[in-house]
Amino acid sequence: MFEWLDYAFMIRALTATTVLSFSVAPVGAFLVLRRLSLAGEAMAHAIVPGIVIAFVVAGLSVASMIVGGLTAGIAVAALTSLLARLTIIREDASLASLYLIALALGIFILSAAGSAVPLKSFLFGSILGIDDETLILIGATATITLVSFALILRPLITNTIDPVFHESQSKRPGLVTQWFMFLVVLNLLGAFKALGTLMAVGLMILPATAARYWVSTITSYLIVTFVFALLSCWIGLIVSFYLPDVPSGPAIVLVAAVFFIVSLIFAPQGFHAGLRLNPFRRRRLPETQSNLNKGDNVYEETH
Amino acid sequence: MIKSVLLSAAGLRLGYRDVSVVDNVSFQLARGDVLAVVGHNGSGKSTLIKTLLGALPTLAGNMSWPAGPPQRIAYLGQRTEFDSRFPIRVRDLAAMGAWSGLGFLGRVDDACRSRIEAALTRTGTAQIADMPLHKLSAGQLQRALFARTMVQDAPLILLDEPFTAVDQTTEAALLDLIDSWAAEGRAVILVLHDLSAVLQHCNSALLLGDGRALFGTPKETLAPRNLLDMGYMSRGQAAWIEGMYTQEEAGRV
Repeated sequence: MFEWLDYAFMIRALTATTVLSFSVAPVGAFLVLRRLSLAGEAMAHAIVPGIVIAFVVAGLSVASMIVGGLTAGIAVAALTSLLARLTIIREDASLASLYLIALALGIFILSAAGSAVPLKSFLFGSILGIDDETLILIGATATITLVSFALILRPLITNTIDPVFHESQSKRPGLVTQWFMFLVVLNLLGAFKALGTLMAVGLMILPATAARYWVSTITSYLIVTFVFALLSCWIGLIVSFYLPDVPSGPAIVLVAAVFFIVSLIFAPQGFHAGLRLNPFRRRRLPETQSNLNKGDNVYEETH
Repeated sequence: MIKSVLLSAAGLRLGYRDVSVVDNVSFQLARGDVLAVVGHNGSGKSTLIKTLLGALPTLAGNMSWPAGPPQRIAYLGQRTEFDSRFPIRVRDLAAMGAWSGLGFLGRVDDACRSRIEAALTRTGTAQIADMPLHKLSAGQLQRALFARTMVQDAPLILLDEPFTAVDQTTEAALLDLIDSWAAEGRAVILVLHDLSAVLQHCNSALLLGDGRALFGTPKETLAPRNLLDMGYMSRGQAAWIEGMYTQEEAGRV
């Protein structure tokens, strides 16, 4: 039953994804809280041509991958906000256009250059692809991410809840947003080998959305997100071990999907809350509330 | 008693880059003052607030702080971009008021914690301190935000339309809080549309409109003729206000 423990590549993959879970959990949690889930997905595709060009020019090295990926990610992010500011197209459509171009360009170059890396493992990840360099990349990513979060957690929370208030309190209010987007790209690169470019963002978003159904405070949210991400990785890798044709990325993301569906059905803020929040269903004010603010709708949702 | 002047503005031109929104804004603010800023949409109220916060430079004129610029300015903006689904409890929202003073890794100490509890009690949110934001009513959320403003513990407090979407009871309770801040020697600048609240709770008023500004006591500044001239209200509304003033006078006699 535990024969997968005898394989060095499995131990390596388990170690890598455990460290990765520490790192992607807070990033994914804030992508969800900042309503940037789809932007995260787009960013995962936007970095593809950078990685591919770096790979074609400099071979399969982690350093070139980081330089290429970060350059492409920052270029797409900057171009998106430039287009949104200077033309009539809004930010979402600009981002969608640019990431589609980037993804197509990346796959085109990868195929045209006759790559040694199979397209499948590029898109969906491979547990066999986790070498020493990748382990170092994941370790460095997690270290930078966790230290950054220790420093920017408060401004990031303030900026997410109430950007107007944050602007009044900070000398450089844009800095925290830019630093967070840098962490997103860095973590996508860290997750790239194990999960592939199409699945990397899945490990960020699904555990975070699943966890959101259970919690009401930010600390518990970060912890539950981490636990879901970690369990998704472990179970997903073992599934991928027993079904050798299944790449690790989809296996991990599907396990995360199970957490998501179970949470949706059973968690206190899942479907239950949805029924309660339904504006078409009239409901008496709870007794504890009624004296505080007569006439106010207790379950009002402003957004 | 002579109040110590906190801020003195003379001939300010306010706007964005080269575009002037309002010109020749002059006013004075002392400790214990509650200054109402009144004006039609686009008259420069928010521009003034942003300038005071340092987010925009003044285009002309002089803004001086006789006792030095304040270390902290408390600010409560409009809730247009506020995310009430964020997983945080009322107590932590109030604590956010202390965060900018703590630096990167500073911890919330006992003194700070008791300041937070005091603010929750004063704003009537102590009973709901453990509730998540998405379960609050608009009035409860505004009380919680007033608690955050109190925790900021600043000599100058800026409030931008703080009574939008709150009921009369909550508005009255929050106005009493503002009075108590003034009594503590803090200065409050309040963007407001409720003229009766301005007359009852503010000791000076700044009327902005059509690129100009008027400053004085609320009653002089918000005279119906001025409100009409500065584009704040129609002739019919001005006549109604006139009636309200006359009634108040009669009441006093």
